[in-house]
Amino acid sequence: MFDQLFDAALLDSVVRASVPILLAAIGGLICERAGVFQISLEGTMLVGAFTAVSVSYVSGNAYLGVLGAIAGGMATSSLLAVGHVSRKGDPIVIGIAINLLAVGLTGFLLPQFFDLRGVFRDPAIVGLEKYEIPLLADLPVVGNALFDMTLVGYLAFVLVPVVWIMLFRTAVGLRLRGVGENPAAAHTRGVPVTTYQYTAVATSGLLAGLAGAQLALGNVVQFAENMTAGRGWIAVVAVLLGRAHPFGVLAACLLFGFAEGLGFRLQGNGFAVQATDALPWVATLLALVIARRRFIRLVDLTGRMA
Amino acid sequence: MRVPEPSVGARAIRDRLASVGTSPVTMALVLSFLLCAVIILVTGVNPLSAYAEMWRGASSGSGPRTVIDRAVPIIGMALAISIPFRTGIVNLGAEGQMIVGGLAAALTAIHLPGPGAFVIGVSFLAASAAGAAWALLPAIGQTALQLPILISSLLLNAPARALTSYLVKYYFGDPTATSTTTVAVPEATRIPTLGWLSGASATAVPVLALVVAIALFNGRTAPGYQSLVSGINLRFSRYGGVAVARQTIVSMGVGGSIAGMVGAHLVLGQSGRFVDGDLAGSGFAWTGLLVCLIAANRAVPILVAGSFFAALQVGGLAMQRSAGVSWQLAQVLQAIVILTLAMRVVPGMRRRGSSEPTPNLEADVIGQIAPGAADVVKV
Repeated sequence: MFDQLFDAALLDSVVRASVPILLAAIGGLICERAGVFQISLEGTMLVGAFTAVSVSYVSGNAYLGVLGAIAGGMATSSLLAVGHVSRKGDPIVIGIAINLLAVGLTGFLLPQFFDLRGVFRDPAIVGLEKYEIPLLADLPVVGNALFDMTLVGYLAFVLVPVVWIMLFRTAVGLRLRGVGENPAAAHTRGVPVTTYQYTAVATSGLLAGLAGAQLALGNVVQFAENMTAGRGWIAVVAVLLGRAHPFGVLAACLLFGFAEGLGFRLQGNGFAVQATDALPWVATLLALVIARRRFIRLVDLTGRMA
Repeated sequence: MRVPEPSVGARAIRDRLASVGTSPVTMALVLSFLLCAVIILVTGVNPLSAYAEMWRGASSGSGPRTVIDRAVPIIGMALAISIPFRTGIVNLGAEGQMIVGGLAAALTAIHLPGPGAFVIGVSFLAASAAGAAWALLPAIGQTALQLPILISSLLLNAPARALTSYLVKYYFGDPTATSTTTVAVPEATRIPTLGWLSGASATAVPVLALVVAIALFNGRTAPGYQSLVSGINLRFSRYGGVAVARQTIVSMGVGGSIAGMVGAHLVLGQSGRFVDGDLAGSGFAWTGLLVCLIAANRAVPILVAGSFFAALQVGGLAMQRSAGVSWQLAQVLQAIVILTLAMRVVPGMRRRGSSEPTPNLEADVIGQIAPGAADVVKV
């Protein structure tokens, strides 16, 4: 049974499931480092998926669709930037409202623009092409999973070390972390706090938009109402679990991707669909428990002051 | 911001009514309707006729009954969410708590013999216990393991959907049905409808009582005040001697119990059976959350805002039928109201961190969960 479950095709679906979560989570970790609590990844990703499919359908070009997703994602995240960074609104409330706005707005525009409900599938929607890297793609086991992806997929994995270098080896990263850890001190040192936070939120919008494009033009070629189905929330948890460290976040995303990929596979082997639906969520909860890290730092609820 | 004179009785009510016109909530509503009018215009429909259809749908024909029947679960969920929110705990798991409550009520009503009223009572108790138990999981996770409730409660929604779906499909399903559903509950255990309430479900009465009870608890008792203080400043609250961990457990348990009973109402008062996916698909948990935010966790404003959002949704469906504008516009409108409030777009709202005096601690948190809540989750 185990040889049936664990093979190259499983790795393939793990990577596929991980890419959108990873893109969104990298955006989330940049915000976290800049001191902005970003929980609107879910809605931002959904808007990205919608704009990606719409623009690709209208223009017949997948990469224009990707640009549309970036624009949609950044527009969505600008609500958080203006509302929280400038207007000092509650980031949790704004995040929740953005997520619900995205569900409502995409659900509203789908019938209004395309005269249909539920799922928008059409041959005119052009999906993202996959590019095989010669030689590497022929490697056993990992070849097909890692070296035959869309450009957005490659970008997700390349961004992990790039963001690590940016955060921990450049002046910009140092200032960004300073803004997150002590905005007053950063301000005193002449770092433009608002600019850094705006840039971080805009970047997360860009990346969550890309995540939506990968979801709707890469993993499948269609838009479905509420198709992100909690992936943006999982990205939020990945930031938490990976301690806002690029490689930690990558590991967390691969774990969720693994749970999702394994779920699909188990379903094919006759397991109840309910069990496999719950798998990524239960795995996430278990990972949080096993990590046994005190995620609540400011207030130690057992009674001692933090 | 104007500092109101302390006022009592009829004068207090008059002052409140006078301030409605200039309150940030009213202005946010006006702004949201204007924004949505632009959206409707973009889609090529006259916004005035769309809004007219919305009003007609909610106010005429079966409108009032449908509005009350929608308002009951929305207000119930908002109350359920307001209890932890008020103490600064972000419970995003009300949906799961409602679902397990709904299944518990359905199974009790189907299998427990006895007179209808008795079975209804026990079903609500079972739903209350199930909802509370599901809510206690993240509560204990926070107090014992330092897992933020914000995250863990949300993560438990999908398992609640999956678990109930699994149980219904493999153990308690109706073998004659093509969909995943339990058999219908006995006729005697259905909640009656009230003729004098346009034929709406009788649950409206206990929900009204609950609004009054929670308003009194919040405004007139020591634990009610303590929960407000914890929501505003947890450290201060602990310094003042509040047992914060116990408060977390209790407020989550009570909130979960109310959410569970809303599930019971939806099964015994609306569908008459537990249909897989129905409760989650209703969106009541999320609408309730928005209502709770707009009402700043206060019970009586929840009653008003919940009825208003219910009317928006019912009107939205009518608008879709007659004006060809998709009902999701109601969702967009609701989210925009909260965004304008949270972003302090409207004048007269205090920005966080300003040094102006705060005459009304509770009203000051409109558009926020509780000022301290965001600081709890830190990586």
